Amino acid sequence: MANSRGGRVYVTEGGEKIYGIMAEFATPADLYHAAEKVRDAGYKEWDTYTPFPIHGMEDAMGVQRTKLPVAVFAAAMTGAGLAMLMQWWMSSVDYKLVTQGKPYFSWQAFVPITFELGVLFSAFTALLGMIALNKLPMWYHPLTKKERFLASSDDKFFVAIEAKDSKFDPERTRELLQKAGATSIELVEE
Amino acid sequence: MTAVSHTGMSHHPALRSDNITFAPGAGGGVSMGMMGLGLVLIIATLGIGFTSAGHMPLAHALAAVHVGVMSVAAISIGAMFFLMVFHLTGAGWTATLRRQFENVAAFLPFAWIGMAVLLGIELAKGGVQFAWLNTEHMQNPVLIAKSGFYYWPGKMQPGALPLFFILRTLIYGAFWTFLVTRLRSLSLQQDQTGDRALTAKAKFMCAWALPLFALSIAFCAFDYLMSLDYSFFSTMWGVYYFAGAAFSGSAVVTLVLARLVKAGKVQGAVTSEHFHDMGKLMFSFTVFWAYISFCQYFLYWYANIPEETAFYVHRSGPGWKALGVFLMIGHFGLPFVYLVSRVIKKNVNLISLACVWFIIVHVADIFWIVRPMTYAAEGNDPGLSGIWLDLLGIGGMLLVFGGFLVKKVSSGVLVAVNDPYIEEGLEHRNYV
Repeated sequence: MANSRGGRVYVTEGGEKIYGIMAEFATPADLYHAAEKVRDAGYKEWDTYTPFPIHGMEDAMGVQRTKLPVAVFAAAMTGAGLAMLMQWWMSSVDYKLVTQGKPYFSWQAFVPITFELGVLFSAFTALLGMIALNKLPMWYHPLTKKERFLASSDDKFFVAIEAKDSKFDPERTRELLQKAGATSIELVEE
Repeated sequence: MTAVSHTGMSHHPALRSDNITFAPGAGGGVSMGMMGLGLVLIIATLGIGFTSAGHMPLAHALAAVHVGVMSVAAISIGAMFFLMVFHLTGAGWTATLRRQFENVAAFLPFAWIGMAVLLGIELAKGGVQFAWLNTEHMQNPVLIAKSGFYYWPGKMQPGALPLFFILRTLIYGAFWTFLVTRLRSLSLQQDQTGDRALTAKAKFMCAWALPLFALSIAFCAFDYLMSLDYSFFSTMWGVYYFAGAAFSGSAVVTLVLARLVKAGKVQGAVTSEHFHDMGKLMFSFTVFWAYISFCQYFLYWYANIPEETAFYVHRSGPGWKALGVFLMIGHFGLPFVYLVSRVIKKNVNLISLACVWFIIVHVADIFWIVRPMTYAAEGNDPGLSGIWLDLLGIGGMLLVFGGFLVKKVSSGVLVAVNDPYIEEGLEHRNYV
């Protein structure tokens, strides 16, 4: 059976679809070096799970920098531009009203709203973009079914490689994690 | 070789002696040359003013030097502000940069000497730029109402000394000199002894001194910039001067750091990560400057009260309006777009380029504040004509400042090696 990525879909003997392989590590350093090995082996669909942020982990995992700032900048410029356009149209086209003897199009008076809408658009884009890029909201995660995984919020460090990764292979992926120093390895069902 | 006690992190490869010191006597000639030439230019500027050579009035020559003095004062004030904030917040990432902040701030007492000399000339000449010292203005009801700000506890009358004004100037000088020398000596002492308690002492001092420093900057800006037009007032003036100071101060420190890196020094101690963060500081303060300067303009534009809008009326004449637009673009628009990019902030060459530009626009900002007042009373504003005299005076002051910096930087240890936070500074990274 082929999935959309051209790989295969793995199932357990019971017929359940396999989410991936989860490996536990004892220390942040072990996890860090394991992540480097997984990265160098060319895996793309995988993640690390830790009780606290580990500095430099993004490099060890080979995570590319987010494109979110570009979207935020574009949104800010759009918001600011729209705000100026809106105020120009309102005050000097649609409903002309002399205020304090100043010209209809008094850009000075429009700056605060231009600024605010720039901020508003960029804030919404930053928040919603972050949520979308993190694939949130996520109501359920296969890893949370595993009793052992609860320690990822306490004192253990995990790597999980997903079965949908084109390089995923039940035997070789397990071997890779074992060599990387995992203290326990489990198959995770969807 | 400078004696450095080897305690703690001093064995770090980035802190080896040849990486953090220059050879004895390095930069001495350049420094003396710059300071000498700078002084000659300043004296020439004043000479042209006093002798009316080239038909330039004294007010114009004094304004030229005034712009130079207030520009470099702002740069040192900015460096001093950051130095104090870094101490207070325990900003570990700045541990390897701090010495250069101290070096730039060290010029503050000398910038003050410039102010004192200018004040002396004003007193001797009976008010050239300082119209409130001029007997012709003493019947002005606005000045009479405000005279206490200058002449208290005395009364304003021809020949009277502006005691309150002089007292304030003396306080700035004493306070700034105390701050600069104390913070520097604590830091240099720590290079020798490695005593961590010195950092705590500096921190304690900054805690009580920072609010007073803020007041001294604001009042200095009132006295030496806002008072050039005694009928004008702006409650945002202090923070306006501060915004430009923090912007230009961080630009000069960044430029010094970049020059050090290009000279093959501080390798591994000052990295692209530090430049990234210095770039962020400059970015934030170009935005802050725009925010403050627009707010000041906006309120006066809206209220439209004659004695307030006069400030902007003086700056809407030939040349001045163009300079105002230049400031909007050069002091905010371009820096904003340029510094948004992380690639630029992390690149030593690209950020150096920005720093040079920022120093230029900062001087242009002070110029825009000071110089339109020179001919304001005559009603026939020649605008930017005669700008060669301004360039002479400003250039002279910048050369003196530059020469002083070369001397300060090249003659000492470049990194505060025994700072308790030095490891954090050496390992600094932006994790994002």
